[in-house]
Amino acid sequence: MGKEKKRKGSCEAEAEAVAERGGGEEKRKKSRTAPSEIKNKEKRSAVHAKLKREKKILKRKQAKARDAAYKKAIELGEEPPEKKVPRTIENTREPDETVCRPDDEELFAGNDADEFSAVLNCGVTPKILITTCRFHSSRGLAFIEELKSVIPNAHDYARGTYDLKKIVEYAKRKDFTAIINVHTNRREPDGLYIIKLPDGPTAHFKLSNLVLRKDIKNHGNPTSHKPELVLNNFTTRLGNRIGRLIQSLFPQEPDFRGRRVVTFHNQRDFIFFRHHRYIFDAKEKKEDSKGKATQAAKGKNLPEKKVIARLQRVEEMKYSMYCCMLATLTTSTPEKECGPRFTLKLISLQHGTFDTKGGEHEWVHKPEMDTSRRRFFL
Amino acid sequence: MPRTSAVESPGCPPLRVLTADALGLVKVVEARGKAGTPKVVETWGPPDASRCVVAASFADRKKKPILAVARKNGLIDFLNPLTGDAVATIKFGESGSADCAAEGDPIVGLHLFKSRKPESTAMLGVSLICTEKGKACLRSVAKRDAQPDLDTDSQSTWSVCNAGQVLCSSVDGSENYALFGGKRVELNLWDLANCSKLWTAKSPPSNSLGIFTPTCFTAATFLSKDDHRKIVAGTNSHQIRLYDISAQRRPVISVDFRESPIKAVAEDLDGHIVYAGTGSGDLASFDIRTGKLLGCFVGKCSGSIRSIARHPELPVIASCGLDAYLRLWDAKTRQPLSAVFLKQHVTSVVIDSHFSAEESEVVEGPQPVTKQDKREVDKPELCKQRSKKKKRRVDADTNRKKIKVRDAATDALADDDDDDDDDDDGHISF
Repeated sequence: MGKEKKRKGSCEAEAEAVAERGGGEEKRKKSRTAPSEIKNKEKRSAVHAKLKREKKILKRKQAKARDAAYKKAIELGEEPPEKKVPRTIENTREPDETVCRPDDEELFAGNDADEFSAVLNCGVTPKILITTCRFHSSRGLAFIEELKSVIPNAHDYARGTYDLKKIVEYAKRKDFTAIINVHTNRREPDGLYIIKLPDGPTAHFKLSNLVLRKDIKNHGNPTSHKPELVLNNFTTRLGNRIGRLIQSLFPQEPDFRGRRVVTFHNQRDFIFFRHHRYIFDAKEKKEDSKGKATQAAKGKNLPEKKVIARLQRVEEMKYSMYCCMLATLTTSTPEKECGPRFTLKLISLQHGTFDTKGGEHEWVHKPEMDTSRRRFFL
Repeated sequence: MPRTSAVESPGCPPLRVLTADALGLVKVVEARGKAGTPKVVETWGPPDASRCVVAASFADRKKKPILAVARKNGLIDFLNPLTGDAVATIKFGESGSADCAAEGDPIVGLHLFKSRKPESTAMLGVSLICTEKGKACLRSVAKRDAQPDLDTDSQSTWSVCNAGQVLCSSVDGSENYALFGGKRVELNLWDLANCSKLWTAKSPPSNSLGIFTPTCFTAATFLSKDDHRKIVAGTNSHQIRLYDISAQRRPVISVDFRESPIKAVAEDLDGHIVYAGTGSGDLASFDIRTGKLLGCFVGKCSGSIRSIARHPELPVIASCGLDAYLRLWDAKTRQPLSAVFLKQHVTSVVIDSHFSAEESEVVEGPQPVTKQDKREVDKPELCKQRSKKKKRRVDADTNRKKIKVRDAATDALADDDDDDDDDDDGHISF
């Protein structure tokens, strides 16, 4: 540890030295004038460009120094200096007492007793009714077609002029477990109601950034297997409830042979929907090559990577799938994306089935709640 | 620095609040000290969704307080609010009124009488129970260890309405009159002495467009403790109405408030201020004499408000609802004092007003000024400055001992009718 500290110290000293050089120049500049105070535009832009260049060079130098330190540490067999974690909005999220904890007995008791436990625990097969708003559009219908291919056992019904409350009653009689209503405005789907049957809750989402399958370049075509479901970052009580609501739309025993994944990824209260088909062979190759490259670079002190065999163990597959998902959400995809792509944002969660007049809300988004960028509800 | 929205909580005066939630748990929240933060100190009962609490009533007495909770499965539990022990449990609908099964006809209203004294020591008290289909029942409750034949002797059942669905009920301060209202049930007032209907409301006429709003009362209460003639009701069509039964059958004043149904109303002590909570989490106070909105309680509350309770002495109100928070507000300034996260959908809240000061004072020994026995008086008195000064931490685990001590002390003081007019305002300044 001492050595490492020393290393760190020296590295820092280097950085400081670099900074000093830069800083000295800056000081000189400051003693003259700040670029914003120069009135002549050409002069100002020239000074500004110069400053910017210096900054860039300084940054590059620092990065180089950091890299060198890292490599040196690896060569000496020491632990490399820790990477600094950039401060993001998610990192600095406001502390929230409603975040679910794994040791909370009441949470599990509540989960066992809630409206979704019939589907999630008791083996009721979900059966979904999908319908539109009254004045739908071709794009809305295309979206519904694709939703049907994503959600197994989904049936679409023409809306006609029925009230949503009447449809809820009908669906209850026909043993549907949920209703999805796609709302369209100016020929573009812009809202999504998910109504859990028989007795709520009702979630209202804003739907945006919809990309249909045919607009996705190089898209794949989904099979009729039951998909696997990935729900990311639903941390609070409200998030837990929304997550369970979404989970209850899908059958609980995924068909791993289908290699279909449906992802709901929550980030800053926006829920991103993606639908993929992953390919193990491609993944394997890629991981192998990566592994070799890193092994060559880092030597033998790396823990041995798991070699993912084809269809061996469910656990492994789940793990690999999760890796895939992380990769697809951040970098280029090794597998095919199929099905629609859209973003949801929760507007309200209502207790009970759809009732705009006499309904009680469990959560509504109110403008007074937007006091901070670092406050999230899901 | 990251900008945060943490609000400075001014803390709240020492108080004790009991909440009941959708998993059948009863939680005790206590705040201690000058400006303490309230915390959940005790949780009673196993979590079970079928034991979901639908109504609660609290006999807020100095001597032998009782908390009654009506559950979804038709059971009514009588708890000792200091220790959480179940004193008695009755199954509503099993005796006498066998026709109302608990499954199809859940309890909506429950009131435990504070002033009616039980006839014998084996009895706990009298309670008024009302179900959704309009079965009202006055029933005296026996202690668990008493003989079973005592249970049913004084029970009277009547039907409040023929059709519709009762959603709200209330009993006035003198506990002689009861009020019922609901979906397709106009407000009606009953004399509890002989179970007769005194008055029924009439729905307001259709508006200028000829649109008639169907009757749906979601909350109702009496405006003041000593007057049963003025009634405040909240409707599903977001109206707060004042009825005066001595004047007319239609509402005297009707105020619209926002867009969602009024789910809870509570009256203030001064007899003209009313607190109303809506289905989307808005809480506001009204001066009902003029129908003027005094102001909203702003505090990022976003879940339907199910229950509001006013502290009988301090200017504090407690609200709770589907957002799983218990919120305490300053009734005068409408500022949030504190919020406690209770993890479940909270269905009802009651305030134990005899917390802290009195007990510790009694324990301390001889006191120069005798106190009025609060059981006898309906109008609550302001708590005294003197007692405030002597406030001391009370340990939760010595509760049992305290009851005994308290009982002895109250017995000793019972014959002492010294009404001291030490009118120092007991309101604690925050």
